[in-house]
Amino acid sequence: MEVLQYSLRRLASGIPLLLGVTFISFLLMVYFGPDQTYQLLGKNPTAEQIAEIRAQLGYDQPFLVRYADYLREVATLDFGNSNSTGELVTDLLGRTIPVSLMLILPGFVLGNLLALLLALLAAHYRSRWPDKGIMAFSVTGMSISYLIVIIAFQVIFSSSSGLGWFPVRGWNVHSFAEYLEYVTVPTLATVFVALGYNTRFYRSVIVEELNRDHVRTARAFGVPPAKLLYRNVLKNCLIPIITRVVFTIPLIVISGALLVETYFGIPGVGKVTFDAITTGDQPVLKAVVGLTAVLFVLAQLLTDILYRAVDPRVSLS
Amino acid sequence: MRSLKILTDCRSPLLALLLASLAACGGGEPRAGNTAPGSSAGLKVYRHSMDESPTSLDPVQASNVYANHVLINAYDTLFSYQYLARPYVLKPNLAAGWPDISADTLTYTIRLKPGVHFIDDPCFPDGKGREVVAADVVYSLKRHFDPATRPQGAWLWQGRIVGLDAWKEAGSNYDQEVEGLRALDDHTLQITLVKPYPQLLDTLAQGYSSVVPREAVEHYGREFGIRPVGSGPFKLVSYDTARIVMDRNPDFRQEPVDLAAEGYDPATQGEYGLEQIQGRSPPFIDRLEFQFIADASARWNSFTKGDEAQYTTIPNEQIDRVLSSKHPITLKPEYADKYFYYAGTEAGFIFQTWNLLDPEFGYNEDPERQRRNKALRCAVIKSFDWPARNDSFYGGIGTVFPGIIPPVVPEFDPDLSRDSVTRDVAGARRLLEDNGWTASNLPVLTFGTTANVLNRLMFEQFRAWLKDIGYPPEKVVLKQYATFGDISKAWKQAELPWVVKGWGLDYPDAENTLQLFYGPNSSPGSNDSNWRDAEYDALYEQASVMLPSPERTAIYRRMNERMIEECLSATGLSRTRIHLWHKDVIALPDREIVGGFFLKYVDLKD
Repeated sequence: MEVLQYSLRRLASGIPLLLGVTFISFLLMVYFGPDQTYQLLGKNPTAEQIAEIRAQLGYDQPFLVRYADYLREVATLDFGNSNSTGELVTDLLGRTIPVSLMLILPGFVLGNLLALLLALLAAHYRSRWPDKGIMAFSVTGMSISYLIVIIAFQVIFSSSSGLGWFPVRGWNVHSFAEYLEYVTVPTLATVFVALGYNTRFYRSVIVEELNRDHVRTARAFGVPPAKLLYRNVLKNCLIPIITRVVFTIPLIVISGALLVETYFGIPGVGKVTFDAITTGDQPVLKAVVGLTAVLFVLAQLLTDILYRAVDPRVSLS
Repeated sequence: MRSLKILTDCRSPLLALLLASLAACGGGEPRAGNTAPGSSAGLKVYRHSMDESPTSLDPVQASNVYANHVLINAYDTLFSYQYLARPYVLKPNLAAGWPDISADTLTYTIRLKPGVHFIDDPCFPDGKGREVVAADVVYSLKRHFDPATRPQGAWLWQGRIVGLDAWKEAGSNYDQEVEGLRALDDHTLQITLVKPYPQLLDTLAQGYSSVVPREAVEHYGREFGIRPVGSGPFKLVSYDTARIVMDRNPDFRQEPVDLAAEGYDPATQGEYGLEQIQGRSPPFIDRLEFQFIADASARWNSFTKGDEAQYTTIPNEQIDRVLSSKHPITLKPEYADKYFYYAGTEAGFIFQTWNLLDPEFGYNEDPERQRRNKALRCAVIKSFDWPARNDSFYGGIGTVFPGIIPPVVPEFDPDLSRDSVTRDVAGARRLLEDNGWTASNLPVLTFGTTANVLNRLMFEQFRAWLKDIGYPPEKVVLKQYATFGDISKAWKQAELPWVVKGWGLDYPDAENTLQLFYGPNSSPGSNDSNWRDAEYDALYEQASVMLPSPERTAIYRRMNERMIEECLSATGLSRTRIHLWHKDVIALPDREIVGGFFLKYVDLKD
């Protein structure tokens, strides 16, 4: 009951955030985004045809009327049709979000789990060669552009001039074996880059925890290192870890992985979002922005509830 | 890949869950990739890569070559182009033959082939595709004059067909007849023109004129743009921004190939194995896959992998690696062993045009300033170094030509003076000096482009050329636009003094490029120069109603000279596209004019 009451309160408090995000983003779309009129014109348009397209796109309506329509669309989850392809936006997202999830989840899970393991190892051997080695690897992962990593991995693992083990690109997935074929190289690239950022973050959190009195006391009582790291350190580090992990989820669900999808020709929501931004396809953009804002509110709620689950001292009142 | 097999043999509930979600994601489409090239479970699969994807598959929005590749294979058009003839030659397609044309060339009576059916689709009663009739052609053309469809092709027929513009004015009511566009019976269409329109049949070969069933448009509404229901050789299986899959239309009409009638030339095309399709009815492949790969290196990697894309054009950055000679174009042996190639000049060109509405460079209230502006325009054009541009950005294999009649059309004049495309720094400096232009009084010249590195490099090269003639670099400024839509808006609103763009021909007739400088087509129309010249416009109007003839060619050429005399444009360069395809593919690929009409004839070696 306490959780339910808290959830309702938290959701209600998320409404101003939702209004703020949608208002600012819509303002940017309308006044600074691409004007799609000129993408939808033929080669030799007349002023009359330009006016017709503007009316079709709703550009001739006052801003506040259009914003009110947007709020109604968010409330009803009915964003209409894409201005480019004509596809229903809900169908478009329903088709592309699962692809992005399937693509990103392995990298997301592995990137976090491996980073935690490496961070524990580095923290345990702080200032010794395993720590220095892991940190050097992390800095390398952080320093190389994601795009370069993608290109290098594609050449190494997929191209005829490299190992040629995996498809260069595409997403023709109908079985688990095919899934592994298509997801492996993007996952390797994602993990390589994610490990850099995640390991450094987790290591600093763990090192801070290792310096606390209760850990020193446990160590003095002879608690074995593995048990110490798991029970006394990792459990107490969960709050920043949960925060980082949960707040990444909305980005994965909605924004996808633009670079990976574009470069590997994977029809996920990241590519759709990028196309919508560059063409000014407002129905798609409105849906992506609106749903991302909603997911962030939900992520905030989930984070608070998980805080309580891992640390009973946290109050939901 | 042994480890993958082991993984797939695991039998766990988690694996079952994942497989269930995979099935939900993948749909029921049979697998068509990563097996031996061209075959998949016994299917003949051809994978065609392109650098961009179409945004919509609704024929009224078929404004680019990417959409046309798909559309003319999903739909029928009344006319088409011969598969192998160059220059391009029209042929009847859905039309049963050539039209009957009245003596005044105003009335075209076109008979349709009987027994042609749309594909089966839920939009039809019982889901069974019905026969294509003349009323469908009428309906399909009317859609271009219905603002609700957001049409992009109306300019092809605007002011040309009796009553069509009035039909739009009256509210685009499809149940209302158009006097000049009538179905006389199920298999006879009559088009009555306002004035002679020699390019009419070419317009009826465009993706824009694809014949659609009204039932499908009404059934799918806005989603018609992703659900083509046509009578073409292929039918859509799936569509997304990375890939389009089409399967052979099993009910496509039987029309055996006559290679001679398709313009086959054994001397130049004999090596491609095209004789194998002689006498057989297309389509020959079971599945046609379009792969949209924007990044050139990814496209190249996919093509050279061997079991993925079977066709690509050579990216500019690979030209030196792949070619052993540029003049003539030949491949290095390691590539010639594996791939067929065909080098063709594009049906279009790159050019840069002055916008005369800018008083700093064009029309000016002060006649003396206007005269000096012309000298300034001429000087800048003289500074343009076409060979350098060709070498830097087009692999040195493009064709530089004077004027706006490109080499691909029959009206091209190979003997036209090349002065307008020959760099003359001394002449440019002299022109500036003689007309009182100095570093201090030269106006700021804005070079507008979409934001990317290549365009930035083009700007820097241009600025360096201008510096050579005494134009201060700080007065040549770059203005970048985030998207093509943004820069298109700037062009249409005549905001930029110097318009850098390319033009792809819609049909193989120089009229299609000459209209770029016709006064009434000024902004927001296609005449970005906003030039209005009485002689040029009169010649255009005179030629626009003439059938191809030496007289019309002479008029076209005079217009071309007139445009050059006025220093309106630094023009032009037609790029050379080198098409590469795997040797198991029997085809002669092409992407010019409409684009993609060769795909119907692609076959794969067994």
